[in-house]
Amino acid sequence: MKIVGVTACTIGIAHTYLAQQKLEDAAKAAGDDIKIETQGTIGVENALTQQEIDDADIAILAVDVKIQGEERFANHKVVKVSTETAIKSPNKLIAKMHEIAGK
Amino acid sequence: MKDFWKKANFKGHLLTAISYMIPIVCGAGFIIAIGMAFGGKSQDALVMGKFDFFQAMATLGGKALGLLPVIISTGIAFSIAGKPGIAPGFVTGLAAVSISAGFIGGIIGGYIAGWLAFAVLKYVKVPSWAKGLMPTLIVPFIASLLSGLLMVYVIGTPVAWFTDWLTRVLTGLNGASNLLLGAVIGVLSIVDFGGPINKTVFAFALTLQAQGINGPVTALQLTNTATPIGFGLAYLIAKLLRKNIYTQDEVETLKSAVPMGVVNIVEGSIPIVMNDIVRGIVAAGLGGMCEGAVLMTMTNGQGATVPFGGVLMLPTMGHNWWVGLLAIAVNVLVTGIVYALIKKNLTAEEVAGVSTASASQEEEELDLDDIQISE
Repeated sequence: MKIVGVTACTIGIAHTYLAQQKLEDAAKAAGDDIKIETQGTIGVENALTQQEIDDADIAILAVDVKIQGEERFANHKVVKVSTETAIKSPNKLIAKMHEIAGK
Repeated sequence: MKDFWKKANFKGHLLTAISYMIPIVCGAGFIIAIGMAFGGKSQDALVMGKFDFFQAMATLGGKALGLLPVIISTGIAFSIAGKPGIAPGFVTGLAAVSISAGFIGGIIGGYIAGWLAFAVLKYVKVPSWAKGLMPTLIVPFIASLLSGLLMVYVIGTPVAWFTDWLTRVLTGLNGASNLLLGAVIGVLSIVDFGGPINKTVFAFALTLQAQGINGPVTALQLTNTATPIGFGLAYLIAKLLRKNIYTQDEVETLKSAVPMGVVNIVEGSIPIVMNDIVRGIVAAGLGGMCEGAVLMTMTNGQGATVPFGGVLMLPTMGHNWWVGLLAIAVNVLVTGIVYALIKKNLTAEEVAGVSTASASQEEEELDLDDIQISE
């Protein structure tokens, strides 16, 4: 399964990147391809292209705040959680996403 | 009802606005702190030839901090309505400043401005030739006018009274009440490691800082600074007691968690706490309680002019810098000693990391309330 996602937290220096790390590790453990864009205080890093979003089976937004470019995901399956959920239960979250995507 | 709260997303909009505000408070807070440390004072207006360099610095910072209600209001309105929310949020925030409704006025005004802009976008229908006028004229004009007038004539005055009352109560606190407030803030700021309780206390403490009361936010952040260092100290104390309290993985985690703590990032220590949540929180909570109590009592509620920065906050505390340092030291010691004492002694196999191999099974249950799915 191909997963894309965005992480963003309030202060934008810690939870954003922890959530990215946890999601990437959990997805790799489940054998998925994953790319996570981070929107920290420093700005957008590891930016997703529209092509990558279109190719993905499902998108994960682990965000506590309003993000830039949410409209890019308009016509996709999107799962939205807080960064806390992504950090605390990443593997279960990925499993849940498999269920939702039906793969 | 629960659905309404979730849809309205009060917390999300406030957090978005805070995320835009923090760099402004940090930048301006350091500038005013340096200016004031060298005898500058924030001026109403800078008249050429009538001010010195440090007055200029203090004024730069002071002016920016004085406009925090505008920033929070604009941020909230932007979070609700997107770009069209910026104009009404800005106007309403300035209205809140003019009528002395302060930061709380800015927060309330931001929600009103944002939802009005959202409502105008959604419900006001215009003929197609006027489509272009919608974002440039109609939304900003109607939403700004309505929410600005609401602020001036309806909300502003009661909020100004309330803000004034709250400020007077908190600045008038004496020793014992300061001790209690500090202890409570210290505990609450660490009890869920950056979770919802911490965020709520942070929003409250930031509100107070915008009103010029710096103690609470300092108590909160110094706890976040000291806790990871405390877990590091626990390792050394446990070694003295001939106890092994950390696995090899955890020791690796500590090597980055401790320096992260020094600059105010508590999250590095989350993996350690997660492995033994009750004992971790007891140790951190007790440390936070002592830190908050020491700080708030000895500084009489004074604190740093910046809301973030770990040990970098200390220089902005003026002559109280050593109290901040003492408070951190107390927190580190209490957390370190308590954790080293109450943590179980690990066997050699556990230290080698056998117990963490099944991490995915020990993971917390997925919080289904927190998940929104759209297809």
